[in-house]
Amino acid sequence: MTWVTPWAPDRSELDSCVTCGLCLPFCPTFRLTGDETASPRGRITAMAAVGAGEAEMDERFFEMMAFCLQCRACEAVCPSMVPYGKLQEGVRAEILAADPKPARIARRMVLGRGLASRPAVHVASLGIAAAQRLGATRLLPGAVGRMASGMRTVPLPVPSTLGRSWRPDGEPVGIVGLLSGCVMDPWFADVHEALVQILRTAGYVVEAPGAQVCCGALAAHDGAAYDAARMAAANVEAFARYDTVVVDSAGCGAHLKDYGHWTEGGDDLAARVRDATEFVAHLIDEGALPTFPPGRGRVAVQDPCHLRHAQRIVAEPRTVLAAAGYEPVEIDEQALCCGAAGVYGLSYPETSDELGRRKADQVMAVDVSIVASANPGCELQMRGHLGPDIRVAHPVELYWEALSGS
Amino acid sequence: MLRPMDLIAALEGVVGSDRVRAHPLDRRVFAKDAGVKDGPVAAVVFPESAEETAGCVRVARAAGVPVVPRGAGTGLAGGAVPIEPSVMVVMTRMNRIVEVDEQSRTAWVGPGVINLDLSRDLASTGLHFAPDPSSQQSCTIGGNVGTNAGGPHCLAEGTTVAHILAVEMVTADGDIVIVGGDHPDPVGLDLRAVVVGSEGTMGVTTRVLVKLTENPPAVRTLLIGFATVEDAAATVSEVIASGLVPAALEMMDRAMVRAVENYVHAGYPTDAAAVLLAEVAGHAVGVDAEADMIARIAADNDATMVRLAQNDAERALLWKGRKSAFGAIAQSAPDYYLHDTVVPRTRLVEVLSQIYEIGERYGIALLNVFHAGDGNLHPLVSFDAAVPGELDRVMAAATEMVRVSIEAGGSLSGEHGIGMEKRDLMGLVFGPDDLDAQARLREAFDPDGVLNPGKILPEGSRCFDRAPTIGAAP
Amino acid sequence: MLRPGADHRGGSVTTLDAATRRLLERLRPESVPPEVGDVPVVAPRRVEEAAEVLAFAGDRGLVVGFVGGGTQLDLGGRIEPDVWVSTAALNRIVDHQVEDLTLVVQAGVPVADVEALLADHAQSAILPETPGAATVGGVVAAGVSGYRRLRYGPTRDRVLEVVLATGYGKVVRAGGRVVKNVTGYDLSRLAVGSMGALGLIGEVCLKLWPIPRGAATVAVDDPEGALAETYRPLAVLETEDGSAVYLTGTPEQVAAQTEELGGVGEPGHRWPDPIDSPMRFSVRVTPRHLAGAVRMIRAAFPEAPLRAQHGVGEVTFGVEACDLERVVAVRHWAEGHGGAMVILAASAGSLPGMDPWGAPPAAHGLQVRVKEAFDPHRICNPGKLPGGL
Repeated sequence: MTWVTPWAPDRSELDSCVTCGLCLPFCPTFRLTGDETASPRGRITAMAAVGAGEAEMDERFFEMMAFCLQCRACEAVCPSMVPYGKLQEGVRAEILAADPKPARIARRMVLGRGLASRPAVHVASLGIAAAQRLGATRLLPGAVGRMASGMRTVPLPVPSTLGRSWRPDGEPVGIVGLLSGCVMDPWFADVHEALVQILRTAGYVVEAPGAQVCCGALAAHDGAAYDAARMAAANVEAFARYDTVVVDSAGCGAHLKDYGHWTEGGDDLAARVRDATEFVAHLIDEGALPTFPPGRGRVAVQDPCHLRHAQRIVAEPRTVLAAAGYEPVEIDEQALCCGAAGVYGLSYPETSDELGRRKADQVMAVDVSIVASANPGCELQMRGHLGPDIRVAHPVELYWEALSGS
Repeated sequence: MLRPMDLIAALEGVVGSDRVRAHPLDRRVFAKDAGVKDGPVAAVVFPESAEETAGCVRVARAAGVPVVPRGAGTGLAGGAVPIEPSVMVVMTRMNRIVEVDEQSRTAWVGPGVINLDLSRDLASTGLHFAPDPSSQQSCTIGGNVGTNAGGPHCLAEGTTVAHILAVEMVTADGDIVIVGGDHPDPVGLDLRAVVVGSEGTMGVTTRVLVKLTENPPAVRTLLIGFATVEDAAATVSEVIASGLVPAALEMMDRAMVRAVENYVHAGYPTDAAAVLLAEVAGHAVGVDAEADMIARIAADNDATMVRLAQNDAERALLWKGRKSAFGAIAQSAPDYYLHDTVVPRTRLVEVLSQIYEIGERYGIALLNVFHAGDGNLHPLVSFDAAVPGELDRVMAAATEMVRVSIEAGGSLSGEHGIGMEKRDLMGLVFGPDDLDAQARLREAFDPDGVLNPGKILPEGSRCFDRAPTIGAAP
Repeated sequence: MLRPGADHRGGSVTTLDAATRRLLERLRPESVPPEVGDVPVVAPRRVEEAAEVLAFAGDRGLVVGFVGGGTQLDLGGRIEPDVWVSTAALNRIVDHQVEDLTLVVQAGVPVADVEALLADHAQSAILPETPGAATVGGVVAAGVSGYRRLRYGPTRDRVLEVVLATGYGKVVRAGGRVVKNVTGYDLSRLAVGSMGALGLIGEVCLKLWPIPRGAATVAVDDPEGALAETYRPLAVLETEDGSAVYLTGTPEQVAAQTEELGGVGEPGHRWPDPIDSPMRFSVRVTPRHLAGAVRMIRAAFPEAPLRAQHGVGEVTFGVEACDLERVVAVRHWAEGHGGAMVILAASAGSLPGMDPWGAPPAAHGLQVRVKEAFDPHRICNPGKLPGGL
């Protein structure tokens, strides 16, 4: 077996794993199963074996790979700095290329084309808005139901930031691009709004260029590599003129920062991307945004994997929360994945649920009424598992509440 | 003898089909630990109790297939790598902390409990499990028992055997027995003392009674840089000779420091020829004086920098660097091979210079990271096993390094174990009668070679060599 | 050189040549315990000679008893040897690597001599503090630890290497002279506490500890409380005269810890005298049950001198006269609490029906097989160990 796509796992990158095993306990699926084949090291061994033609690229191989949450916790703790996320995306591209199963094709269509299509997302959002108002989301079974129950209510008409721009009240100090995102835009409009208003307050012009598309993260994670590459190329062009591109979804931000793998010029855009908490914390540190006295209460910090492990952003969300007057409360030293992991819940509802429950238990253990999470998928998962009594919000929303005096 | 399919079916009969694996890819993934070699796996099984483990051993025994126990697979000597097609008994699912006795400072734990998890879970009790091998974030207590694991802090605390009070294990006959006990000096031969470190050849560990150690009230960690390896080694000798017992005394050479610092960004001086990581721990009154004393001895030996970690975070980062050393080596080449010899501390400088000389002569990339306080050396050779002949060359150089260590009065392995990788070097340390005695002991536990055969002892160790029973027709 | 009588049949007569007789004559009288009586004693000068004795005895089925300082001869099952092998002539300190903190000694060197030598270098092998005539080999073979085991661990933790003359008559070296070693099966650890069941321990390499300058003994009322509050004391001992915490460290640390204990420290360590009652027992329980064991023993034997090691879980006590019922009750209590009661010394026949060790170890089958592996002819202290091994 030799690989067939340009994204295939690179032998020297596979070789950079010396099989020391230091990653194992940080891998959620290894934690749950104790199974080497469900660990980063085991998966790399399997990839290398298939790549070298020493093992079949069969159903078992697909399963080993698909079971990975792609949380990249292993990457952050790897002393050899193995680019595991990239390897996993590459191997999924290979799996999709090799396997013509209809279910996989359908998923690729949804993640690779659907999310990039504004009309498709709009229609879906209308459907969800309607279902939410009719109470129909409660009828959805299992993990899908939990995901749906974790959603914020989609406003009607379905909002969009695309093509819009906002100016500060005074003289602008700079201009930043805003990644609208495929689902952030219609489903998490409050987060965008809070971020935009914070940046305006700090004196920035904010623009959400109309030519941008879905970042392509979910497509890349699921092996729809050609689509992911196309989306990356479109966004590189759409954001060419901004020195800073701000992203309020950790998953999207992590992917944009990896654009170097995906398209020409990707490195250049990647270097200009800032997570919302990263940028706002920077403005707070610089004194461009105010710090409020403590007293608003305690907030549990849920670290999205793609913020903490992929982007290595740990302090910033805490800085933002503390500046808003909250006391950030730690819930998980290891920052194990909450089980959302994009659309993982659809493939492995039990694993997703178990991880979600664990995370919810960790939140319950610290006795708070608010959880801060900087990623839409995690937010859905947390709300789905915590129920309506505990508020789940993006750190910039909480900061904006302090800033706007609400 | 069972046919392969029957073996699988019989194992499934013990633990259920979802905890038995025989797909070629599963067998491939389990064929290797953190060392350099792999071996043939017949089936992988994940027992969840001592009874299931015993059932697996009995099935394997009946099938004439050996049993190889495995924890997290972080061993560096191939202890968990089968030599002939074997049933891999993976203990990671037996990962419960069964019972903690805070007053007696003991705990019964499953063999699959991860070393660092145990100490983390105990944090609120003010106790911890003292052995802290570099792989402690991943390795299991069962594996620690198997290898008699060491780690930086065994300088003051002793190796794993000093922290294991009892072991429940499945014998080669498939019986469940307990060796040792929860009270001092259990009567009879102290079998626990040899079971610890027996690398799965005397039993499959199913539960462990560990001794817990009080957390020190105060800790000071020093990072010290030197312009020469000799200065660093001299400092080590003088610190030990001064009557101080540091909690840890670790050394890395320039090549190693660079690889580590590139990953961890802990502020290791990348221009130093060698760095020492020294830790003192104990009653709050006195640790500062002890840290000062080490700094003074270092200064007398021309240290180029001395830094005292200012807080726990800084301390943790320095240790993270040290404990990532083996992993970080991939930055220079895809494979590494290392030895684990121990030399008398006073011979450190001399042996080190011989080791560097050997590295140079063979033209191999050599990095050194070691437990200097114990004289426990880990010369690491980084190489690319895919290059034909490279592994042989590395092995030849490594063997020479072992030889100079042993000639200096040292031993073959300080903490990693012998496994498959060093067993043929046992003759450098022990004579035929010594090896025969060890073989007798092993045979007393496992006369038929069911448990992890082919490990530790070189072939022909028994003065009268017997025909293997395992694999032979009944 | 030992030259066996050609017509020997397992009785008690062994013909010794002149050289061996000379050896015998040079044994210090106090090193030969009275029990030896008429049974011939040989005192090999080298481990190889001991192995030769054992090979010879194995061939003839002669039962061999081992003796060092003779302080532990009452421990374990009674033996009636055809010949005693004494370590009295294995009396050399072979090598003291001061800077490496290791010491190689032959088995017959008295513990007191070793510690005296080491004290000159501010070092210790942490052997029993009040050893009497005990030898290093005897302490290792009987697995006896001192009071300082609370801090430094039992004697086993200091045995790095052993040279053994096995029951099948070979000299075997196990372990190594370095402080950390996993090279093969560590028979040296197995030899500790083996009661001579595997053969004669001829030479031992010990790990040493530097002894800090500060030392104090602080009397306390509540030993369990003191144990919980004091960071790593050397020992917390309770005797019939009261309790004390033994401290070690820099003088500043010792002063600070003394103050924390709220007591008045006496400088130095005053260890209690050994119990000299004719009948002595050791109760061993998990440390949590130690205080209970002390209460129970006090209730059973109000006058008994005792040495309780808090945090370790051992109480030794002595009684003057036999009281079978109460001794049985103590054992019953200890075993009921997961522990053991071992008879350290008792006059013959005074405790009818009582096994010296109590309940045999759980893994009896393995015990038998290991014993047979090293002593195939069952000649080395047979019956000393539990289960008649």
